[in-house]
Amino acid sequence: MSLASKSLTPASRKGPSWLPYLLISPTLVIVLVFTAWPTVQAIYTSFFRQYLNIAKFRTPTFVGLENYKTLLTSPDFHEVLRNTAIYVVGTVPTSIVLAFLFALLVNRTVKGIGLARLAFFYPTILPMVSAATIWMFFFTPDYGLFNTALRALGYHGPQNWLGNPHLALLAVMIVAVWKNAGYLMIFYLAGLQNLPTDVFEAASIDGASWWTQLWKIAFPLLRRTTLFVSTIAIIDAFQVVDHIFVLTQGGPSQSSSVLLYYLWQVRFEDQNVGLASALTVVLIVIMLSITVTNFVLSEREGA
Amino acid sequence: MNRKRVLFVVVSLLLVLSMALAACGNNATPTAAPQQEEATQAPEASQAPEATEAATEAATEAPAEPVTIEVYYPVAVDAPIAKILQGYIDAFEAENPNIKVKPVFSGGYGDVKTTIQTTIEGGGKPPALAVMLAADLYDLINADYIIPMDDFINAMPDGDAYINDFFPAFMANSKYDGKIWSIPFQRSVVTLYYNADLFEQEGLQPPDSWESLAQAAEKLTIPGERWGIEWPSGWPYWLFQPLAIGNGQNIVKSPTEVVFDDPKVIEAVQFYIDLSHKYHAMPEGVQKNWGNAPADFAKGAAAMIVHSSGSLNGILKQADFKVGVMAVPGKEPGTYATVTGGGNFYIMKGVSPEEQAAAWKFIEFVTQPQYAADFSINTGYVATRKSAYDTDAMKKYIEEVPQAGQLRDMLQYAGMELSCMNLGKVRNIFHKYLQAAYNGEMTPEEAMKQAQKEADEALSIFK
Repeated sequence: MSLASKSLTPASRKGPSWLPYLLISPTLVIVLVFTAWPTVQAIYTSFFRQYLNIAKFRTPTFVGLENYKTLLTSPDFHEVLRNTAIYVVGTVPTSIVLAFLFALLVNRTVKGIGLARLAFFYPTILPMVSAATIWMFFFTPDYGLFNTALRALGYHGPQNWLGNPHLALLAVMIVAVWKNAGYLMIFYLAGLQNLPTDVFEAASIDGASWWTQLWKIAFPLLRRTTLFVSTIAIIDAFQVVDHIFVLTQGGPSQSSSVLLYYLWQVRFEDQNVGLASALTVVLIVIMLSITVTNFVLSEREGA
Repeated sequence: MNRKRVLFVVVSLLLVLSMALAACGNNATPTAAPQQEEATQAPEASQAPEATEAATEAATEAPAEPVTIEVYYPVAVDAPIAKILQGYIDAFEAENPNIKVKPVFSGGYGDVKTTIQTTIEGGGKPPALAVMLAADLYDLINADYIIPMDDFINAMPDGDAYINDFFPAFMANSKYDGKIWSIPFQRSVVTLYYNADLFEQEGLQPPDSWESLAQAAEKLTIPGERWGIEWPSGWPYWLFQPLAIGNGQNIVKSPTEVVFDDPKVIEAVQFYIDLSHKYHAMPEGVQKNWGNAPADFAKGAAAMIVHSSGSLNGILKQADFKVGVMAVPGKEPGTYATVTGGGNFYIMKGVSPEEQAAAWKFIEFVTQPQYAADFSINTGYVATRKSAYDTDAMKKYIEEVPQAGQLRDMLQYAGMELSCMNLGKVRNIFHKYLQAAYNGEMTPEEAMKQAQKEADEALSIFK
């Protein structure tokens, strides 16, 4: 982020006026073809009824806002929205706080710190499906590692993490946090290492405590990192559902189904193209509003 | 905001959009994982059975122009399917020099279907031949993806005899509208595995009714150490069906009619719950142990499990006791029930008649008794044809592994796998409420009534 602000200084503006457009054109074309166009298409098809597995509804018929009405009145959709909200609110702040703590922990020159960095980062390297398969065994009732560890800590509650309707969503959230915190740590670590040391020296001379330095200097200076990290963490929370396929299939009784997983079910199990498009539009609108809000808020603070 | 900021906002928005859409796209692409698993299997190459009598006549019938067909194919079991199939393809091509068969391994069953669907809907050319779930029949017909096979069957010297040689239970999901739409290939049945040594120690007979099953399970349970029975329910309809069938009422009646709220079905749900709550012989609630159950059984942590017949080979390899296999006992003494599962061959629309004919030729070739037997022996799937069990290879195998013969004998008790119009939707409805009942969130009666109501709604379009 700090690099970006450097390269945008007016001093570096040279060359013909069309050059910038030429330079961004490859990206622009890709974005238009693979992002903008499908978005327009999704919005368009969301006004049609089309089921691929129902002969008489294979040809799209214009139905106006019917699909959106179906969504709004569907108890399943409401439950999925609720699950998604819990999932995002539960995983994003937790991952970010953990990532920041991990980064503080490993941002020191102690012997063997490389190993600690590796330990925090290694869940990121595993593909989500493999990681979820491993966690599937951790979650096994009775002899699974997760339950064994919890028992050692004095936990004697229900152990059927993936089959219990009150625990399944929590279980997939635990896996998501475990997977993401190390990844987000990298950004904070990079941010911490780029902080100017003179500010801290000055603060030390002035007698600021470690806590004050962290809270009043390091954290504000990392504001852009936090903006970036929270944006990708939120996007991740909406888009990564691979572990749900492996761990719970959205079950039991839809209790761990989130928006993108539900979208997949509607599109590829129910084969309901129109409703799936409407869901896609809902997903895009939610993510855009979150990102814009996030951006605007932090820009205002920084101005 | 100045221009730079506007640019930054626009770029960020596009980035978000592209991520959102990439996520949507991700799920459509087949995963490579099953292939990797498959590749790590022991390299026990399945030797294709010796050339057959068909070899001599094939050369004369071969089409004049060379034809290349693709076969889309899932890997759903712990067996070197790719290698086995390639062996058959080599033998087939040797007999039919004008036909080239290109196997395309596309992940799991869901991935094969999704790949074909996206190909067709995107205006591309589908493969001529595909192995997809037998239960997907109506979705595939409604989507207009497949052709019936009657013309090919009628053109055979004795087509009726060919079809009648398949076990009727395996053909149950192939017929619609008086036509035959698929040919059984990799098929399995729900199986009750029991630890025969434990049964003998405790002086128990293999169960022949719900009551004796529950009592045996209760007696064999040692709290904290061994379950009497494990019965996975993470994806529950398939393993539940034998309970409903065993009480005299399958959950599917016709392509547009499912039976969820019949008292007999409700009673079957209650029996499953009773195994935990009344007999304390089974883990409570929804059991997410499809992957663990065979290992639990093999190491003695469960005295019985209900699972796919496809797990037999793996269990036999690990278990150091006598493994019994049988159909699931029905409610009344002396009755049994099971249900079929697995994949069939489908010939696709949207390819040339020559390719369709070549696809049929390959089906005919690979379902010959000696290949059906070989496939069963090497994969653990149940051989699809009666005559496969008359081959020397199969007879010898059954001498070594008598359980393989018992699996065949279970087919007489098999009912039809849940398969109907709008299957994905109906199945999700059933899963939702069946699991709600298993977890005690609803009574079996409430749950099944609600499931019936919603399923009827999902099926009403077809009436």
